[in-house]
Amino acid sequence: MLSSRLPWSNFFRLYSTAPTSPQHSIYISNSTNPYFNLSFEDWLFRHKEPKTPLLLLYRDDPCVIIGRNQNPWKEVNLSILHSRKDIPFIRRRSGGGTVYHDLGNTNFSIHLPRSSFDRHKTAQVILRAVRSLEVDAIVNERNDICVGSEKVSGSAYKIVNKRAYHHGTMLISTELNTLGDLLHTTKDAMQTRGVASVRSPVRNLQHFNPSVTHESFVDAVVQAFREEYQCEDDVQSVNEEEYQDLEYIQTGMSELPSWEWGYGQTPEFTYPINETFAWGTASAKIQSKHGIIIDFSLSINSEAAPPATDAGISDENLKSVEKLLQGRRYGSVSAVEIRDALGPNGPVDDIASWLEKSMNS
Amino acid sequence: MLLVSRRLQQHLAGKRFLVACLHTSRRVQNSRKVIEQFKLADIGEGITECELIKWNVKPNDMIQAFDPLCEVQSDKASVEITSPFDGVVAKLLVQEGEVAKVGSNLCLIEVMKEIADSVDTSVAEPLNTDTLPIESFETPTSTVSSEENTEEPLPSSTTVRRKHPMDPTFTPEVDGPGHDAPVLATPSVRHFARQNGVDLSQLVPGSGRDGRIDRRDVEQYLSAGASASTQHPTRVEAHGQTENVVVELSRTRYGMWKAMEKSLQIPHFGYSTTLDLTALHGLLPTLNANIPPHFLPESSAPALLPVSPLSVYTPPPPPETPLSGKYTRLTYLPFLLKTLAKSMIEWPLFRASITLNSTSKPTLTIRPHSDINVALSTPTGLYTPTLQSADTYSMYALSSQLKHLSHLGRQIPCGLTPKEMPKQGGTVSLSNVGAIGAGDFAAPVLVPGGGVAIVALGRAKWVWDVDRGDGSGERRLKMGISWTADHRVVEGAELAAFVECWRGYVESPERLIADSV
Repeated sequence: MLSSRLPWSNFFRLYSTAPTSPQHSIYISNSTNPYFNLSFEDWLFRHKEPKTPLLLLYRDDPCVIIGRNQNPWKEVNLSILHSRKDIPFIRRRSGGGTVYHDLGNTNFSIHLPRSSFDRHKTAQVILRAVRSLEVDAIVNERNDICVGSEKVSGSAYKIVNKRAYHHGTMLISTELNTLGDLLHTTKDAMQTRGVASVRSPVRNLQHFNPSVTHESFVDAVVQAFREEYQCEDDVQSVNEEEYQDLEYIQTGMSELPSWEWGYGQTPEFTYPINETFAWGTASAKIQSKHGIIIDFSLSINSEAAPPATDAGISDENLKSVEKLLQGRRYGSVSAVEIRDALGPNGPVDDIASWLEKSMNS
Repeated sequence: MLLVSRRLQQHLAGKRFLVACLHTSRRVQNSRKVIEQFKLADIGEGITECELIKWNVKPNDMIQAFDPLCEVQSDKASVEITSPFDGVVAKLLVQEGEVAKVGSNLCLIEVMKEIADSVDTSVAEPLNTDTLPIESFETPTSTVSSEENTEEPLPSSTTVRRKHPMDPTFTPEVDGPGHDAPVLATPSVRHFARQNGVDLSQLVPGSGRDGRIDRRDVEQYLSAGASASTQHPTRVEAHGQTENVVVELSRTRYGMWKAMEKSLQIPHFGYSTTLDLTALHGLLPTLNANIPPHFLPESSAPALLPVSPLSVYTPPPPPETPLSGKYTRLTYLPFLLKTLAKSMIEWPLFRASITLNSTSKPTLTIRPHSDINVALSTPTGLYTPTLQSADTYSMYALSSQLKHLSHLGRQIPCGLTPKEMPKQGGTVSLSNVGAIGAGDFAAPVLVPGGGVAIVALGRAKWVWDVDRGDGSGERRLKMGISWTADHRVVEGAELAAFVECWRGYVESPERLIADSV
């Protein structure tokens, strides 16, 4: 029950401009561009008449999505991510934890007036859809949909003046290994003020019922939404090209991949690190806010001789590294710069590459 | 007597009365800068605290209602909060990254706020506790509720009212009197007004004969206007006075002086306590709904019943109540007076007046009824008219008398005559100073002719009383009262016991039923 468009509507599509506000209630995006889908969702959220319920369903090409207030260095395994050049990480606008999207994962988004928004009720709508696909699912105490003890869906919410939404994922046939690798983090020492993800074991719906597909899930959700909100609107099929003229969406799409949004919205965190080398140990403490290093201290302990002097690295060198890093974007400092600041003597390569690796992953 | 002062504005058949205040300055302003506390509203879903992610404003930013203020996050929900006020951001109380509990203050915003004028004028010295305590209780939460009801704009604090000429936003073309009202003033007054840039038509009617505008009216207008406006850039000096000014005591103020000097002959002692008005508060709606028709103004009189109790025989009508004695709402004061009168019947001592005999010992003259003086602060001075035989009147009748007295008192010149202020006076006096501000307790002064005791009523407030309930406490409406008595004739224990007798009626109004059945 996807597109109900007649063939001649293609003609109009070439010449039509996007509307100034969403006119319909059920949207399914044909785009798999996560930047577009998130921006489109935001446009629907901010511009739809506040009293009407709205549903959006979409799928993304592989990407990692972190919550509004999360710390990407803590939540995402950036070193693995960097090795997968095709997978971006994106910060979304709603709260909650980190998820992995690919074409085996379908996202739903229910928008309602703020006064009548109830996250439990909206979860029930999705639950009914899943159960209608003959999967024995339940909603857990964190309002996530599970089968047994395994999560199949995660949720997040956004509330503004007159409107609120509940959106979430639904694992149908996702590459769970990739999910596990990318979301596997090792930085326990990093203390961040943002929201930490709550990890749970996950499963695809297809594990429980192999016949479930993206299309059948979409149909089930539309049906459940129609029943709950008495919505008789036709399903709208959304293509990215139609919204090229819409400034709001275009601005959103360019904001999402920017450093200022992706990294610069990171709340304050401190990261104490230490490392043992053949010649001794080194420890550092990095403090960062909004992705900028606001404080950095480094100390070296050489077993062979009293600190600093014999190792060849003077206090001044340490200070110059500290100065180098102050005000720099976290994750942007290269080992070469650090090595230069440390001076010509001592185990500078070790220290520089250790620091770079710690901060840039 | 305790000096009390109150600004009154009366709407009476379309006429406005210019009321000069004894205490001018800030009383005359109608809007002022107020620092509003903005609290983290209940987001719902059982969330008790949120992390503040981001401020969209910084101190000294101007902000309008519905502008984004900040973003908070709670577990999985990201919430944008918008400002409920127009104003200027004064201070941010929670830093980015900090956790704020629901109900705690997020920031302070400076707003311009209108002071609600008292529209209720049913009693001269009304204990407007049925409206005011609720307002003071709701003020801290008003920001929360307006955050929740973001559909409507900020509710206005007053109903539509005519602007007082002292109102800084008063414009004569819009708010002034009709242009056909004659402006009476002597040439010297006109000259004086012109010199000071005063528009005489704004002072109509004046306090002189036939509504003439006196020089005094112009002077008062100037001093009040200078202190009222903080907005008019031309009136930058606080009050316009640059040197010492010598003022003679007016007749009533000098009368107060003399009486107070004589009061020093009376040894005073005081006694304070609080009365629990919660039960009375609960009765007021019913009492208000059943005000006898002859006390109600024409428009509020109830429609004729299809079946009339008078159809078999029409009794003689009750004496005609003057318009100034009609009212639509009771306040607590008539009730307090009635119960006080009842207590006085039980305690003859408080129905006594002292007679000083030159040759023999002083004597007490005990009257058969309760006569109570009520302190009345008027534009022309402080008076104490007497409610005679208060115990013989119903509460409704007492309310009507109070209203009539206050009307007379507010006339310029004063409309009170010896009929209302008989020489013998009352034996107990009552002063409602609580109506002025948020005073808890006062220390009233007894003067000769004021009786053997005086009580000052504070402001009724809603408080949490931990003694009530099953130990968990209850919300009760309490009013502080302060008694002073003449220790030449009243013992401390007697006063205390008398007050407890009064409390017995005030806190258990159902006892009054016993007299009726």
